[in-house]
Amino acid sequence: MQAKANALRQGFIRCHDCGYLVKTVDHLLSCPRCNSHLHARHPHSLQRTTALLLSSFFLYIPANIFPIMTVNQFGAGDAHTIAGGIVELIDNGMIPIGMLVLVASILVPSSKLIGIGLLLLCAHFRWQINARRWTVMYRVIAFVGRWSMLDIFMISILVDLVDFGGIQIIAGPAATAFAAVVILTMFAAENFDPRLLWDNQKNL
Amino acid sequence: MNDFIDPSYEAGDAAINKKREFPLIWLLPICALLVSGWLIYKTLSEKGPEITITFSSADGLEIDKTKIKYLDVEIGKVSDIVINDDLKTIQVTAQMHKESDGYLTDNTQFWVVKPQIGLSGVSGLGTLMSGAYIAIKPEKGKRERHFAGLDQPPVLETNAQGRKFILETTNIGSMGPGTPINFHGIAVGEVLEYELAKNADNIKLTIFVNAPYDQFIRTNTRFWIDSGIDLSAGADGFKLRTGPLAALLAGGIAFRTSSDDKTTDIVPENTSFQLFDGYDQSTQVIYHRTVKVVMYFGDSVRGLTIGAPVLLRGIPVGKVTDFNLEIDAKTADIEIPVMVEVEPDRIVVVNKQANTTVKENIVHLIAKGLRAQLQTGSLLTGQLFIALDLFPQSKVVTHNNTTGYQEFPTTPNSMNQIVNSAQAIMDKISKLPLETMTVEINKTLESLQGTSKAATKTLDIATGTLSSADKTMQSADKAMSSAQQVLTTLEPGSTTQYELNQLLKELTQTASSVKQLTDYLEEHPDSLIRGKKEK
Repeated sequence: MQAKANALRQGFIRCHDCGYLVKTVDHLLSCPRCNSHLHARHPHSLQRTTALLLSSFFLYIPANIFPIMTVNQFGAGDAHTIAGGIVELIDNGMIPIGMLVLVASILVPSSKLIGIGLLLLCAHFRWQINARRWTVMYRVIAFVGRWSMLDIFMISILVDLVDFGGIQIIAGPAATAFAAVVILTMFAAENFDPRLLWDNQKNL
Repeated sequence: MNDFIDPSYEAGDAAINKKREFPLIWLLPICALLVSGWLIYKTLSEKGPEITITFSSADGLEIDKTKIKYLDVEIGKVSDIVINDDLKTIQVTAQMHKESDGYLTDNTQFWVVKPQIGLSGVSGLGTLMSGAYIAIKPEKGKRERHFAGLDQPPVLETNAQGRKFILETTNIGSMGPGTPINFHGIAVGEVLEYELAKNADNIKLTIFVNAPYDQFIRTNTRFWIDSGIDLSAGADGFKLRTGPLAALLAGGIAFRTSSDDKTTDIVPENTSFQLFDGYDQSTQVIYHRTVKVVMYFGDSVRGLTIGAPVLLRGIPVGKVTDFNLEIDAKTADIEIPVMVEVEPDRIVVVNKQANTTVKENIVHLIAKGLRAQLQTGSLLTGQLFIALDLFPQSKVVTHNNTTGYQEFPTTPNSMNQIVNSAQAIMDKISKLPLETMTVEINKTLESLQGTSKAATKTLDIATGTLSSADKTMQSADKAMSSAQQVLTTLEPGSTTQYELNQLLKELTQTASSVKQLTDYLEEHPDSLIRGKKEK
C-alpha cells in the first residue's frame, strides 16, 4: 500500500508540462516527449515558499501600523490604518461591512501567513499529521488568497473615482505593503507543493 | 522514510539548483525587511517630542484630528485630550514633529484658532471647514514639555517689524484689540490690548505700528480717535469729516506728525501719548506751563463744566479744572471755589519787563481791574464759561481761600445785574397800594360814564344844527343855479357878449384918447389955460 501510494517511489516522474510519465531509472533530465525540464516535486518548493513567506511577514508589519488611506476633507487629512478603519466602520453602525473588511483584510492574510507557515514547518520537520486535512487547508489557503485584495481594490477604486470636490482620498504606505503581502502570500501558496505533505507520511 | 525517495536522483539535481536559486529568491525577504525597516525607522525618526498643553476648554479640539500649526505649517497633532484632576481645565497631549523640538520652550505660547468674525475683519475662516487648530508662537528659552494654553490669541502673533506705543485715554469707546491705526488714511498698525490704569482714572491702549511707519511717531505726534462722522457747522457752511469705512463701523485711531519734528525726534518704544477725542482737539496746541488760580463766584455755577473755557476778551487762555462746594461751619457761608488753569504762554507779552513772574503780572492786571465773570456761552444749553475782562470800577473782594492757590477776583455777571435790578423793580411793584388804586380807578370810571352821557346830548344838538345847515346848503344850491344862468347869458356869440365887446372897444378907445390927452397935457400943461395950439 505504501509503495503504491507514491509515483516517485515506484520510480516514475510525471512531466509537469505534458503529463508524460517517465521512469526515473532512465536518469533523464528532460521529458522525452515535450523536452521540458523534469522534476519529481516543485523545485526548491520549501525554500521559495519560506522566502516568500518571510517577505510577506516583514511587509505585514508596516501594512498594519501605517495608514492605509488618508481622507483629505477640505485640507484636513484624516488617516486610517486597517484596524482603525474597521473600528470606525463598526462605530458608525456599518457592522456587516466592518466584518467583511475585518475578514478580508485581517483574518485572511494573517491566517494565510500562519497556515503557510504551518505547512512549511510540517513539510520541513516531517510532522506526522492527517495529510488529508492539511491538504484541505492548503486548498483553502490557495483559493482564499486572492480575496484579500478586496481592501486594495476598494482603495484603488476610491482613489480614482471619489471626487467630491473637497474630498480627496490618498492611498497610504500600508496599501502598497498590504498589496505586496497579498501577492507574496499568493505566490508562496503557489510555490508550496502539497505533495510534500504526503511524502513525509509514514502511514497512509 | 529512508527508502521512498530515490536518493541518486534527488541529491544530484537538487544540489545544482540550490546554488542557482539561493540569491534570487532570498533577495525578496531581504528587500521586504529593508523596506519595512526603513518605513518604520522613518516614522520613528520623524516622531518628535510629546507635549501637554492645558486649556480651559476643549472646544473644537478633536483627538487625532486637531493639528498644531505654526505659520500654517503642521508641526504636530493632538493625540489625546483628558480632563484635569481639578475638573476645571483640560489637558491636551500632542505629538509634535521632530523639527519642532528646538522651539518648544518655556516662553512658547499656544492658543486655539477658531473662526472670528468681527467688524474689523474675519480671521480663521479656514477653520470653519477644517475645524479649529492649535497655533503656536515659538520663543527662545528653556526646554519645556508642559504648557499652559492661552484663552485668547497673544497680542502679536507673528514677529512683525515695528514698535509698540502706549496711548492714554479716558474712554475706550468702540475700540479694542484689532482697532486699526491710520496714518493719512493708510492702515499702519492696530490696537493690541487695553488695560485700565491701577487707579482706574484712564485706560492705557497698547498699539503696534508697523515699520517703517513707526518712524513717524515723534515727540509732537498727535493721536486722535478717528471714528464716526464729524459734522460741524461754521460761517462757511457745513463740514463733514469721516474716517475710513472700517473706522466708521469699528472705530479707529489716527495720528499725524508735526512738521516741527525732525527724524531726531523719533521716540523710543513704549512711549506714552495722549489720545484725543477728535481731530479738532488734537490740533489744539498744548501748553505745558500752566498757572492755577482759584475764583469764588457768588452766582450759581449751573452750566459750568470741568474743561469750560476761560476767555480773555474772547480768546481762550485757560480752562476750568475743578470746582466744588464749600460751606463754612462757623458762618454758614456757601462758597464755590472754581479752579482755573491758565496757560500764560497763550498770551504774547510785549514790552517785557525783566524779572517779572507770571504771578506778578496777574497781580498787576488785577490791580488794573481784571475780573472774572461767569457768562452764558450758549443760550440753548445754558453752558457757562468764564470771561476775563477789565472792570476798573469793581472792587476786589477776597474770600477765605483754603485752596492754596492765588485767588482771582470776580465780578457778578451783567446778566445777573439785570436780573437783580429787575428784581428790585418787581419788589417796588409789589409794594404799591393796589386795592386803593382800584377804588380810585372805579370812581374815575363812573365820572367818565357821566361825561359820556353829556356828550351824547351835545351830539343830539349837533344833529339839529346839521339839518339846518342842510337847508342852508339847498338855498346856496339855488343861488348857484341862478348864477349859472347869468353865466350862460355871457357865452361867446350871445348878444350880451357882443355888446360887452363893443363896450370894451369903446372903452379902449376912450382910454387911448384920454392917454393922448394926458400926454398932451403933460407936454403942454399950458393948454389947459390957453387951449390947443394949432401946428
